[in-house]
Amino acid sequence: MSNFNIDREQVQMVVALVTVAVVAVFFLGLTDIVTREPIATAQKSALHKALVQVLPEHRNDPLADVIHLKPSGNGSADKTSKTKKPFYPAKDKQGNIIGLAWETIAPDGYKGTIRILMGVLPDGSVHAIRITDHRETPGLGDHIVLNTGWINSFIGKTLQNTHWAVKKDHGDFDQFTGATITPRAVVKAVKKGLELFKANKKELLTPSSNTSPITTPKAQTDRGEKS
Amino acid sequence: MNNAIDSISKNQILADGFWHNNTIFAQLLGMCPLLGVTTSAENGFWMGAATILVLIGSNLVVSLVRGAIPAQVRIPAYITIIAAFVTMVDLAMNAWMHEMYLILGLFIPLIVVNCAILGRAEAFASKNSVSDSLVDAIAVGAGFTFALMLLGGVRELLGQGELFGYAVFGADYPDFLLFILPPGAFIALGFILAGVNIINRRMKENADKKATEAFTEITRDTKTTAQPST
Repeated sequence: MSNFNIDREQVQMVVALVTVAVVAVFFLGLTDIVTREPIATAQKSALHKALVQVLPEHRNDPLADVIHLKPSGNGSADKTSKTKKPFYPAKDKQGNIIGLAWETIAPDGYKGTIRILMGVLPDGSVHAIRITDHRETPGLGDHIVLNTGWINSFIGKTLQNTHWAVKKDHGDFDQFTGATITPRAVVKAVKKGLELFKANKKELLTPSSNTSPITTPKAQTDRGEKS
Repeated sequence: MNNAIDSISKNQILADGFWHNNTIFAQLLGMCPLLGVTTSAENGFWMGAATILVLIGSNLVVSLVRGAIPAQVRIPAYITIIAAFVTMVDLAMNAWMHEMYLILGLFIPLIVVNCAILGRAEAFASKNSVSDSLVDAIAVGAGFTFALMLLGGVRELLGQGELFGYAVFGADYPDFLLFILPPGAFIALGFILAGVNIINRRMKENADKKATEAFTEITRDTKTTAQPST
């Protein structure tokens, strides 16, 4: 009799836990279905907002015209380089690429990874950069986001005209009081991004498949100027 | 189900949850989100709001199933319920409050391990009616949110000279970094707790005084009323 009782108790426990789990899973699935679309939209609009800020004025949808490219060359030290990387082009009325934006990652921030969206003009100069995600110390490292003057000091910088380091390392970029590691990481990451662009310029500015014929000569002259 | 706790009035539940048994001020539970996200009043408010939603959901469900869950497996069952609500709030915030979600980040999933919530499920919802558990969840959640906002407000005010993002001390307030960093949270919390203790002592003294006054009055009354009759 006592054996039977223990069994029944155990069955009760199992039934209770399984029921709780199944009901929980049902509601989680429901929530997932309801929120999946809005989450994707929210992420896209966040990216779109950032893209508008780093790209020159454009007539296309950079998200729709995204170029996926496997970067090569000396700039591909980026951790994400093993897979294809999205590049978001800005095009003018004629469909010429007048700017490109992509994400560059600084793995060596003070508190982990800093994600930076950088917009670059075809001549290889920085148009604008925005920090899209970071975990830096509030009040110290987060000046990379809040201090617009510092973010804007990247505008117009190229690999040639700039010494890519903070002033403490005899470079051209300010560091902040109490925070050198954060700006150092950002400067390094943006430089890496520019090197990536230099190494892959040909492929990026002359996309093989979905290019209108007008784009090609423009990109070629760009390449000509460069070499 | 008609034990002593059931007879407690809703007002008593509200007062206990919000103040006398406040998660932060009285029990010092939930320190992880408290110290992590209270760099501003707004962050504190939204963290508190997320916690209230989870607390209401878990208290309601735990109270509903309180007779059906065998005692031996109640903790895993409660944790599953709490984790489900946390994930739902997490997804909902990601979808409809994306910017705040990015700021609060990891601290939303961490609500699961906020012992204050399991504490309410175990100590209150599993022994009380659904309506009492709802009142308890709102009271405890509001008390938690109040504490988060207070600490967030103090740190934002002292650290950046702002409150809810508005400059209070003018634009050239020199940032007081210590209060934005984690040690500042401990220091500010210490002073807040001291203040809470002072308030509690005053309240107790007043209550005692009233009680003794009432007592002496009663005894005087009985004396005065007793005298003429003799």
